[in-house]
Amino acid sequence: MQKLLNITLNDLRVIFRDRGIWINLVLVPAALVFIIGLANGGFVTETTPRLRVDVIDYDGSALATQFLADLRAANDTLVLCPLDNDAEDFCRLRAGASERTLDEDLARQRLINRDALALLIIPQGFEANMQAGTPASIIYRSDEEANAPSLIQQAVQAVVQRTGGALVAERVGLDVADSLEILQFSDTADRDDFGQQIFTRAQALWAENLVTVNFTLNDAIERQLSPRQQGFGQSTAGMGSMYVMFTVFGALVVLIDERKQWTLQRLVMMPVARWQLLGGKMLSRFIMGMIQYAVAFAVGAFMGVNFGRDPLAIVALMVSFTLCITALAFLLATFMRSSEQASSVSLLFILTLAPLGGAWWPLDIVPEWMRTLGHISPIAWVMDGFRALLYFNGDLSTVVTPLLVLLGAGAVFFALAVRRFRYE
Amino acid sequence: MPETMVQARGLVKTYRRKDGSTVEAVRNIDLDIYKGEIFSLLGPNGAGKSTTISMISGLIEPTAGDAQIARYSITKQPMEAKKLLGIVPQDIALYPTLSARQNLDFFGRMYGLGGAELHKRIDEVLDFIDLKERQKDRIDTFSGGMKRRVNIGVGLLHRPQLVYMDEPTVGIDPQNRRRILDTVFRLRDEQKMTVLYTTHLMEESQELSDRVGIIDHGKIIALGTVGELVQKVGEEDRLILKVGQQKIAAEVLERLKQVEQVTSALYDPPQQAAEGADEATDGVITVFAKRGRRALPDVIQIANDASIDVLSVEVREPDLEAVFLHLTGRALRD
Repeated sequence: MQKLLNITLNDLRVIFRDRGIWINLVLVPAALVFIIGLANGGFVTETTPRLRVDVIDYDGSALATQFLADLRAANDTLVLCPLDNDAEDFCRLRAGASERTLDEDLARQRLINRDALALLIIPQGFEANMQAGTPASIIYRSDEEANAPSLIQQAVQAVVQRTGGALVAERVGLDVADSLEILQFSDTADRDDFGQQIFTRAQALWAENLVTVNFTLNDAIERQLSPRQQGFGQSTAGMGSMYVMFTVFGALVVLIDERKQWTLQRLVMMPVARWQLLGGKMLSRFIMGMIQYAVAFAVGAFMGVNFGRDPLAIVALMVSFTLCITALAFLLATFMRSSEQASSVSLLFILTLAPLGGAWWPLDIVPEWMRTLGHISPIAWVMDGFRALLYFNGDLSTVVTPLLVLLGAGAVFFALAVRRFRYE
Repeated sequence: MPETMVQARGLVKTYRRKDGSTVEAVRNIDLDIYKGEIFSLLGPNGAGKSTTISMISGLIEPTAGDAQIARYSITKQPMEAKKLLGIVPQDIALYPTLSARQNLDFFGRMYGLGGAELHKRIDEVLDFIDLKERQKDRIDTFSGGMKRRVNIGVGLLHRPQLVYMDEPTVGIDPQNRRRILDTVFRLRDEQKMTVLYTTHLMEESQELSDRVGIIDHGKIIALGTVGELVQKVGEEDRLILKVGQQKIAAEVLERLKQVEQVTSALYDPPQQAAEGADEATDGVITVFAKRGRRALPDVIQIANDASIDVLSVEVREPDLEAVFLHLTGRALRD
């Protein structure tokens, strides 16, 4: 065991003799954790979002006004432009000192420019048509996907339904009243007033939402899943794991170089057992991998990432992933014949397995088949584990599957590496 | 009968080529190296010297056969055998970014040394290789000769009974070469070590060796003291005539063989400059004669009669080069 440790210490000494190591071990991973964290929304401020919706009201009727008021009430994140524009020109309608008039051409351009997320056009005669019982259309325009309606579209549809329903109730009430001889209106105004009462009552009842679906977030998510946690949690775990691969895969080139400079052969000709030699070399790379994780997670902590309630489970994931990658690196090393080949293969493996496994972006945003395919990468398993711990407040028991997969794969890689390893 | 330090029997190493065919790098070598001697394995590049030594030192497994170091089998008791063996590879097998002392310290630990004993032994080795003043400097700041000396020092740390040195003078200046050859003598005479020395340089082998094994095409073709080997080829002188780019007819060689004292004559034709090589080599006629100087006038006369422009003439006393040439029909440099 002493010789194994001596080999490890010597390797670490050689590695740290190279001052450039600090660039790859600390500076680049820290920068990437920060940048990828930002890209994943790490510094989004946690205020309520406000969504611009352009409105062109050609009708200007009481019903149209009522409709827009109901829309605001349905979703208070909507800002109806230009009606709700504020002193700071949230609607982005001002050109110099004057405010532009919102017409259809401008509105379409604003959609393209994403100055507004949707356009709502209330046509002339909207109220008259509705009251006459003839069809009336509200035009809704946006570039969102039809099969994934946005919050805005959902709100519009809800208000259209409510308004339409109330009007139906009013018409049915008036028709029934007209057919009852005992119920006589004194004049047209009296009849209109009766209809308005039904309309208002129907809207009020609708607003009470007799049947509702209450969307609430899981406790853990509600408590912890801030944008900062989501952004930097992703980048800390993802970039950390990817850089562990970079650091550990450095062994491929180092082993070739050691063969070239004959230090590996010299060790083989010394009274050093095969397991001591391989074990020492692997242990040094494993330690480098763990140092790399420590650096990435230290940057994450600095960025305010909450690492959950079970640090032991985090360490277990780091250890199992680093073991797996170390064994994989030594298995690959047995196929390498030159430093150039080793460098190329390292890059190929890392730059394929990292994005495939969700190191650059969460696998939640990729299609199902891609998510399944991604799990050929060890990174996907360790990211599953980190997400369970960092996002869902899991503990050791929730990451058993990733741990077993990583350790199992590592054991297979190790057995194959030992079997294939040659010093010649 | 001297005590045996290395005993190799039936060593074979076969490699498989990519096309599925096999090549025998070492063919059935039997070898005994005696305790306290300097034994050199002499042969051209690619003859099988390094492969033989790699098997004896446990770097590669023999396809067949075995070797024992002080009765420990290198295949069955590798740890015990390797403890007795000090390695000086042809390459500078050191960590270039570490200092001389750090290299010695690490490799010393690999030999099982430690603590005060290791510290003392490193000081002794640094004295022996005359590098104590540069001990804290990085290896990559050393000259080629200094690196070679550290390379040797690593192999001596654990006071091995057998030191294997693989062409340790390759690529260094004459001064450092002389220093290394003196070191080899000191290992035998002062440290009482057995030295197994491989080289393709006849002069080194002749100067250093108590016994020589000549290896060619993976086989030991001659083995003994320099005197014994020279006797094998009849203690003949060699007359070496450089004849430039001229082609020499077979009849000329036949006429040379008929000169009194001459036993044989060989012709080594000129070689065109290969791409990237400096220049073409001259053709050489080698005449073996029991008393070379006496045969010289007749040899020159025959050359003149055949209108051969002789560029130079050299008379060489019997040496290992002659032995190799005699045994293989090729010069060692080929």
